[in-house]
Amino acid sequence: MAIGTAGRAGRLMQQGHRPQGRSLGRRIWAARWCYLFALPNLILAAGFTFYPTIMSWYFSFLDWSGFTSDRQWVGLANFREIIHDTYFWHAYLRSLEFMAVAVPIQVILAFIMALILNDASYKFGPLFRTLFFLPVVTSAAIVGIVMTFVFSPFNGPINQALLQARLANSPVDFLGNPNTALWTIAGVWVWKWFGITMIYWLAALQVVPQEIYEAAEVDGAGRWRLHRDITAPMVFPFAVVIVLITIVGSLNVFGLVQTMTGGGPFFASEVMEVYIYRNAFGEGGIPRLGYASAAALFFGITVLALSLLQGYGLKKANDARAQLRAG
Amino acid sequence: MTSAHRFSRRTVLRAAGGLGAAAAFGARLNATSAQDSTSGITIPQPSTTLPTDDVTFRWIDSGDLKSFFYKALFAKYHEAHGNITIKYDPLPWDEINRIVPLGVQNGNAHDVFAMPPDVPAATAVAEGWVAALDDIMPNFTEWKARFPIGSFTDGVTDFGGKTYTFPVTSDKRSSTVLFYNPAILQKVGVDPSAKPLTWTEFREAAQKITKQGKGQEFGLLLGGGKASSQFPAIIGNLSRMIHPAGGSSGAATYMIDWKTGDYIFTSDAVIGAIELLLAMKSDGSIVPGAASLGSADARARFPQGHAGMIFSGPWDIVNYQTNSPDFKFALASQPVPDSGTPAPLTFEQTGSNLNWVYAKSKYHAITADLFSYIGSVDGQVAIMAATKGNLQSLFPEAAKQAQETVQMDPLAKTALDLFNSQIRLGPMMSVRVPDYSAVQFGIKKLNPDFGDVIQGLFSGQLKDPKKAMQDLQDRSNKNLDDAIKAAQAKGAKVTRDDWIYPNWDPTKDYGEADYKALT
Repeated sequence: MAIGTAGRAGRLMQQGHRPQGRSLGRRIWAARWCYLFALPNLILAAGFTFYPTIMSWYFSFLDWSGFTSDRQWVGLANFREIIHDTYFWHAYLRSLEFMAVAVPIQVILAFIMALILNDASYKFGPLFRTLFFLPVVTSAAIVGIVMTFVFSPFNGPINQALLQARLANSPVDFLGNPNTALWTIAGVWVWKWFGITMIYWLAALQVVPQEIYEAAEVDGAGRWRLHRDITAPMVFPFAVVIVLITIVGSLNVFGLVQTMTGGGPFFASEVMEVYIYRNAFGEGGIPRLGYASAAALFFGITVLALSLLQGYGLKKANDARAQLRAG
Repeated sequence: MTSAHRFSRRTVLRAAGGLGAAAAFGARLNATSAQDSTSGITIPQPSTTLPTDDVTFRWIDSGDLKSFFYKALFAKYHEAHGNITIKYDPLPWDEINRIVPLGVQNGNAHDVFAMPPDVPAATAVAEGWVAALDDIMPNFTEWKARFPIGSFTDGVTDFGGKTYTFPVTSDKRSSTVLFYNPAILQKVGVDPSAKPLTWTEFREAAQKITKQGKGQEFGLLLGGGKASSQFPAIIGNLSRMIHPAGGSSGAATYMIDWKTGDYIFTSDAVIGAIELLLAMKSDGSIVPGAASLGSADARARFPQGHAGMIFSGPWDIVNYQTNSPDFKFALASQPVPDSGTPAPLTFEQTGSNLNWVYAKSKYHAITADLFSYIGSVDGQVAIMAATKGNLQSLFPEAAKQAQETVQMDPLAKTALDLFNSQIRLGPMMSVRVPDYSAVQFGIKKLNPDFGDVIQGLFSGQLKDPKKAMQDLQDRSNKNLDDAIKAAQAKGAKVTRDDWIYPNWDPTKDYGEADYKALT
């Protein structure tokens, strides 16, 4: 009986129907089971997402170390200081640079690989899908630590290979050189998260009916034209979402950066998250949780803007998909 | 404190004299003896009424040498009291910096913890983080009286007339002892045990090792990357032997010439030490990857045998012996200046390996019982036994007993001789200025700090050492002045002049009489 009520309410909501003339309380009561089942998630989200987020906004107006009762309200002083902190802006821009370089590489490579693996005639598809996905489920910190050995200029396998292939005359200190540190991390990041982006693309490719390809092949279309004129237009709405998800992911690289370089050498790979962490917890003075919260809020607005863009993109993608279905 | 004596090249040589023998003898030590460390521990009858239900007691500190003792002690304690399990978390300092404040904030901190480096002890006391030992230890007065005079200091262990912690061991030690690989150094005819290497000899030795190593062996292994860079300690201690300056405990006192109260970042000594390191990098004498290796990573790699030398502290003696029993190494003085008499390093008697009791812990009785044993002659002998003398007791009786009954590690003895000849007790702001913690707590993180700046110079992102150090000096001064002003505004009685100790003699321990002479 109850489940039947919930089912009806769910169907009504899905269909976009709103019971006319009923008060909000009655409508909530009618859908009480839906709300009840959503409650645990809501409580957890309130405790572990909403509360810390809101508190960090409050902290951003304090001069506070984070662990004493001595909190001083300083208004916008933290924000003013941030605006004049060149290390903040360097970290901010570095995060955006990281995104601008890593995201296109990851999205394009993953798309190409998804096209290859989407071919049903390719027998090893499942094996490669698994292989590419393995780094995704490995801890970022573990990957970071292992990569410090892989890229070590002394006896690291990458350098050994470069030297043996005579591509380098002397070992390259990938993580110790300010010109290469960030981009080495970007490379590892692409490798680590490549699998998830590829899976997104594979899911998107499922919407392209096989019959269309077959019909086009009968009409003499080559592989390039198949993808240019059929695949690309049909998966484009998904591309928007995939790109935006990847962009937000590229701004969350703390684990890799902290374990591989700690933001060094001399801040050369310090992205925003590491900057925030360094001010909130790092060594060398009293922690500044208030200041770090202000920096986090500043940066959070950027991520929020991108997330809103993602929501907009998602809506557009759904509209486009609905049109495709209707057509 | 031991009576001070003149620190000269002769004393350095004398201290270094035993190193050759130590190197040979050190190789005989192996992991087995470290694993026997439980044998010296006998858990006495409880000094207080212990819980009878099943209890998990939590203890966090920085591990290293003392972990050999604590692991053994906690295992024995569990044997004696089956219902009490002690969960020991030996973690790096940056983790302690993060975990302990969060634990206190959440009300679930470890029952006993090491104080995070960024938290002034006075603040922890004022905030009610920690319990006074007066209130939890049975027979507190009798227990406290066991410690030698000078073990408890206002502003360090005691606050507001109560005692909150106690020094487990002596902290007269350095993190820049020259550890070397005798097999590699012999190939190039260098023996730092015969006499300390001068800066020039050190550089030349590293060049020779690198040249003969043909890409497989390098002169110096260095951890200059990440947050835990060795740069501040190395540059700091190399330069302190030319231009005496304060120890490294506490950001405000860092690298300050106590005679003038000024930072020494722009001194010829510091610039010279930086240039030495840059020259060695330019020579190719430093193991590749130094800029991306953390201190712990570098130290862990030394036994692989790809470097002739590394700077480290006595904690790595047992570490190498235990984790790399086949690795043969020896110790010597850090490189000394090319000319003149090397000045001593200074240390602050902040009490080595201090443990603090979480005020809200439900198991103060267990803490009291453990502290009672650790602060006894038997407990102190057991510490020296577990670490084969690498940790030195403050109790003269325990030290004497350990030397007679415990197999002392010759390398530990070498390190001890080195520290006795090269390190003196320096002035301590927390002793002189009761309100010092108000200043210390107001000192903001320098961005970039000393370690960052040297890292920038080393990686080539900063080009001019003098300009970079002048900038650091200016920012350090402003940071300290601002912190003093903020403390004054809150009513603290302190001025910048308090940083000047006109009667400081770097060659002598700075004692109680010296503080009295200031007033």
